[in-house]
Amino acid sequence: MTQGQGTLEVKDLHVSVAGKEILKGISLTLKKGELVAIMGPNGSGKSTLAYALAGHPRYTVTKGTATLDGKDILSQTPDARARAGLFLGFQYPVEVSGVSLSKFLWTAYTQRHVAEEIDIDAYQARLDGNMGQLGVDGAFLKRSLNEGFSGGEKKRIEVLQMSTLEPVYAILDEPDSGLDIDAVRVVGESIQAQRKPGIGILVITHYQRILKYISPDRVYVIVDGVVVKEGGRELAEELEVKGYDWVKPPSS
Amino acid sequence: MQDASQMTPLDYTRYDFKDPETYKVRTKRGLSRDIIRQISKIKNEPSWMLEYRLKAYEHFLERPMMDWGPDLSDIDFDAYTYYANPMEGEPRKKWEDLPADVKNTFDRLGIPKAEREFFGGVGAQYDSGTVYHKIREDLTKKGVIFTDTDTAVKEYPEILRKYFGKVVPYTDNKFSALNSAVWSGGSFVYVPPGVDAGIPLQAYFRINARSVGQFERTLIIADKGAKVHYIEGCLPLGEEVLVGDQLTPIEQIESGQTVLNSAGEETQVEKTMVRPFDGELVTISPVSVGNTFQLTPEHPVLCVPRAQVQTGRRSNRKLTDVSQTKLAKAEPRFVPAGELREGDFLHYPINKTVRDVPEMSEAAMVVLGYYLAEGCAQTINGCEAVTFTFHIDEAEFVNELDAAVVQLTGKHLWRNPQPGKHAITVGVYSKELHAFCVEHAGKLAAGKHLSKQVMDLPPEKQALLLDAYYKGDGNNYERGGTVHRVSTISRQVAFQVQELQARQGVFASINVREPFTETMKDGRTISHQRMYVVYHQVGKRAEAVRKVHGAFLVPIRKITQTPYRGSVYNFHVAGDNNTYLTKGFSVHNCTAPIYSDNSLHAAVVEVIAEPNAKIRYTTVQNWSKNVYNLVTKRAFAYENALVEWVDGNMGSKVTMKYPSVYLKGRGARADILSVAFASEGQIIDSGAKAVHAAPDTSSKIVSKSIAIRGGRTSYRGLLHVARGATGVKAAVRCDALLPDGISRSDTYPYNEIHEEDATITHEAVVGKIGEEEIFYLMSRGLKESDAIHLILMGFLAEFAKELPVDYALELNRLIQLEMTGAVG
Repeated sequence: MTQGQGTLEVKDLHVSVAGKEILKGISLTLKKGELVAIMGPNGSGKSTLAYALAGHPRYTVTKGTATLDGKDILSQTPDARARAGLFLGFQYPVEVSGVSLSKFLWTAYTQRHVAEEIDIDAYQARLDGNMGQLGVDGAFLKRSLNEGFSGGEKKRIEVLQMSTLEPVYAILDEPDSGLDIDAVRVVGESIQAQRKPGIGILVITHYQRILKYISPDRVYVIVDGVVVKEGGRELAEELEVKGYDWVKPPSS
Repeated sequence: MQDASQMTPLDYTRYDFKDPETYKVRTKRGLSRDIIRQISKIKNEPSWMLEYRLKAYEHFLERPMMDWGPDLSDIDFDAYTYYANPMEGEPRKKWEDLPADVKNTFDRLGIPKAEREFFGGVGAQYDSGTVYHKIREDLTKKGVIFTDTDTAVKEYPEILRKYFGKVVPYTDNKFSALNSAVWSGGSFVYVPPGVDAGIPLQAYFRINARSVGQFERTLIIADKGAKVHYIEGCLPLGEEVLVGDQLTPIEQIESGQTVLNSAGEETQVEKTMVRPFDGELVTISPVSVGNTFQLTPEHPVLCVPRAQVQTGRRSNRKLTDVSQTKLAKAEPRFVPAGELREGDFLHYPINKTVRDVPEMSEAAMVVLGYYLAEGCAQTINGCEAVTFTFHIDEAEFVNELDAAVVQLTGKHLWRNPQPGKHAITVGVYSKELHAFCVEHAGKLAAGKHLSKQVMDLPPEKQALLLDAYYKGDGNNYERGGTVHRVSTISRQVAFQVQELQARQGVFASINVREPFTETMKDGRTISHQRMYVVYHQVGKRAEAVRKVHGAFLVPIRKITQTPYRGSVYNFHVAGDNNTYLTKGFSVHNCTAPIYSDNSLHAAVVEVIAEPNAKIRYTTVQNWSKNVYNLVTKRAFAYENALVEWVDGNMGSKVTMKYPSVYLKGRGARADILSVAFASEGQIIDSGAKAVHAAPDTSSKIVSKSIAIRGGRTSYRGLLHVARGATGVKAAVRCDALLPDGISRSDTYPYNEIHEEDATITHEAVVGKIGEEEIFYLMSRGLKESDAIHLILMGFLAEFAKELPVDYALELNRLIQLEMTGAVG
C-alpha cells in the first residue's frame, strides 16, 4: 500500500483569511471507517479548517500539507477534491434557485462517479432509502436546492447529499447548529448510520449533544487555531462539564 | 479519437445538398414601388392588398428611424432582397414534395418527426416562401384554419380582412410599415367559437440566403371561448448546422463519447452535428503521412505558424530554418485551415490521462506486448489457449515471454518448433489469460487494439508493453540514426502505438503502405493488405518534429485542396476547452457565422383573443448572429380572455421586440414571460407592454435576461392604465444576470397610470453569480463551468419549464455553448 492510503492527513496547516492567520498549525488524521469529532469554541477556526480543506478560494493555505490517500489536495480545485472523494457538509448551505434537488444530486453524482458505469435503479433505490432514513419527504426532490428550506431541513439535506454521493472522506461543519433536540437526534442518528468501513467522517461541532448519537472514535479540541487536546469520547463529556476554558492553548 | 477519424463512405443521398441560393422566384435587390408590385403580382393578390402594401410603403419612406434603442444605422434597406422563394406555387401538403435542399434543411431539424409526435399542425417558411403547411384532419373538421397568410388572403378573405392590420397598423412603427409593404408568408390561424385546438400548432422560420429579408405576417384569432397554443421556432438548430463543421469521419462520434482536447485532457462529446458542404476541403499531410486529415477551410486548427519562428535562413529549397528558442516559446494559436501553409507546425498534444490498474502487472504488460505482435487467442480441442509465433532465432524473446506467463498463470509455455518455416510456435492453455488478451488487445491481426484501460496506464507500465511489441513485430535499421519501426495491418494499433510513444516522449510517424499484389517466381501471387508503419528515429541530428511542453509540434509536409460536395460533421465537447483532436491534432470547434452580410427579419404578429378565449404564443428564436430581428407582436384581449406570450430571444445581432397585450374587455388577463440571452456583439432589447384599457384587467410580466462576454440586454417595458380602467392589477418582475464584469443590462420601465386604485408591483434585480454559489456546487464535484451553467439554467427554469421538451433541451445546449470560456 502506498503511503497515506486510506487516510485524510493534515499536517501543520496554516490558513489565512484576508491576510489574517486563523489556523496556526493544525495536524490531524482521519482514517477510512473512522468517525472523528472536532470541537472548539466559536472563532477557534473549526469552519476555517473545513473550508480550507474543501478549497474555498478565500482561504489561503500559507504553510503545511493536506493529503488524501497520500495525494496532495491543496493544489487541486474544489471540484477535483470532491471527485477524489472529499465532501463538505456546509454549516450554511447555499440556496440555488431553479435547480431542483434531484437534478443537483444526479449531476453531482455523475460528476463524482464519472469514470464508472452508473446503475440508475440502484442510485434511485439508495436515494429513496436515505430519504426515508432522514425523514425527508419526496416533495423536496422537486424543490429548488435549499431555497426556502428551514434550518433543520437544510442540515438534513446536507447529510442526504453525503449519503447519496458516497464520498470517501466527509467533513460535516456543525451539522447540529440551529437545530432543536429532535432534529439533532435525527441528524445524529443518520450520520451514525453512515458509518461504514469505506468512509471517514469528520464532524465539526460546538456542542457535545450530537455526540450522544454518533460516538466518535476520537475527539480533537481546537482553540485559537491549534489543536490543544486529543482524546477519546470521554474528552467530549469532560468538555461538556468543564467548558472550553479548561483547555486554553498553552501559550495564552 | 483515432478510432473515430476513420474514413467511411458518405451517404450522399441522405444529405444531398444543392446550391442554397438557387431560387425559383426572387426579386432583384432593393426596394421600390415596382418591386412591391412585382411581389404582389407573383402572389396573384387581390388589388386591395396591393393598395395596402403601397400605402404602407409610402409611410415607410416618410417614417424616420426610431430615435431610441439600439443603433440601427448599419441597416441598408437597398442591400436586401425582399422576396426569394425556393419554389413556385402553393405550399406543399406532403413533405416529400418539397425541393430537396429545403426538405433536407428542415429534415435535419427534425420537423416531420415533430409534426408526427407533438403537434396538431406544422408550417415551414424558407426565406420568403411558405413551403409547407399541414394540419391534422380532426382539427380541420372542427373548423380550425391553419394555413399560410398568403393562402388565407385568397381563401378566407372575409375573416382575414376583418383583422389584418387592425392590431398592428402599418403606421405603428417603421418596421411594421416595412413589413406591411413587403410581407410574405407567416401563419394564419383561426379557431372557431368554443373549439379547443388542443395540441399546439407550430411554425418554423428560416433565413437561408445571404442578404435576404424575412417579413412574415402572422395572424392568430381565437373566437369566443376558443383555445389555441401556437409555437414558432426560428430554427434553433439551424445555426448550429450552418456553423458547425469538420469533416466526414466524425460522423461516427456519438454524444457521451470521450475525446481528448488540445490540452491532452479527456472531455465528453456533448452533441454531434452535420451540415452540407460544397467547396474545397483542405487536406493536411504532416510529416507523419498516416496522420493526414481533411477539413473545411474555415475550421480552426491549433498550430505555430512557421513565419512566427523562422530565422530567415533556408534549410532546404522550400522551407526556411526554424529558431529552436523561438519555437520553444511560441504559443500555439488557432488558424483557419484554409490559411495554413506548408511548414507550419501542427500541435499534437500528449494524452495526460493516467489511471493505474494495479492488477495489471508488469508481467501482464510483457504478455500483452507480445500478444499484440505475435499472439493469437484460440480454442484448441475445446480449451482456450493463447499462442505466439516467433522466429527460430528469437529464443531470448521466448524466454522473456515464458517468465511472464509463468508469473501470470503458474504454467510454462509449451514449445512447438516448426523448422521448415524457421519458426517456433509457443503457447499456454489458460482460460484467464485468453480472456485477458482478448479483452485488452482484441482478436485476429486486423481487429487488434488496446483497451482504454491499457491506454490509460502509467507510461512506465506502457513502456514494457511497447518494448515487447517492438521486439515481436519491429525491426530497426540505420539511416543517419537508428530507425525503430513496427508494421501492423490494424490501423487502430498504429494510432495507439503512436499515442503510447508520445507518452514516452517520442513522436513516432505513421506511414501507409497501400495494398498490392506480388507475383512470386513460382507463379504464386501474394496479396499484401494495407499496412501501417509506425517509425521513429533515434540520434538524428535535427528532428523535424519538436517536443514542447505537453505536446509535439509536427510540421506540415503538404497541403492540398479537394473539391467536395456532401456532408461535413462536427461536434461540441464539454468543458472550457472546446477543442478536440483530429488524427491526433488539435482543432477548434468552429463558431464563426457563415455570412458576414446582415440579414433582416421584420415580422408582424397580430393576435386576437375574443371574449373568454385563451391564446398562448410561444417563440424560441436563435437567429444567426448577423440578423437584425425587429419584430412587432401585439395582442388584443377582450372580455375575460387570456393571452400569454412566452418569448425566448437568443441569437441575432440586434433584437427589438416587445410583445404587447391590449386588455380591451373587462376581466381580460395578460401573462408575458420574456427571456433574453446576449453574448459577444449582440444587443437584445426586449420587454413587454401591458395596456389596461378596461376595468378589472390584470397583467403579469416576467423578464429574465443574461448578458455575457460583453453582450447587452435591455428591458423596455410599458405599463399603461387608462382612465376608467379601475381595479387593475399589474405585476412586473425583471431579473438580470451578469456573470462577468464586461456585459451590460439596463432596465427602462415606463408606467402611465391614470387610475389611482391600480395595484402595481415592480421588482427589478440585477445579480451576479455569487462565489459562494459556485463554490457550493464545485464542492460537490461540478467543474466551474458546469456549476455556472447549472446556475444559469436555474435562473431560466421558470421559462424552460414552459417550453416543449425539444426546445428546453436546445436552450440548455445553447447556453452551455455560449458559456464556453465566458467566465473564469
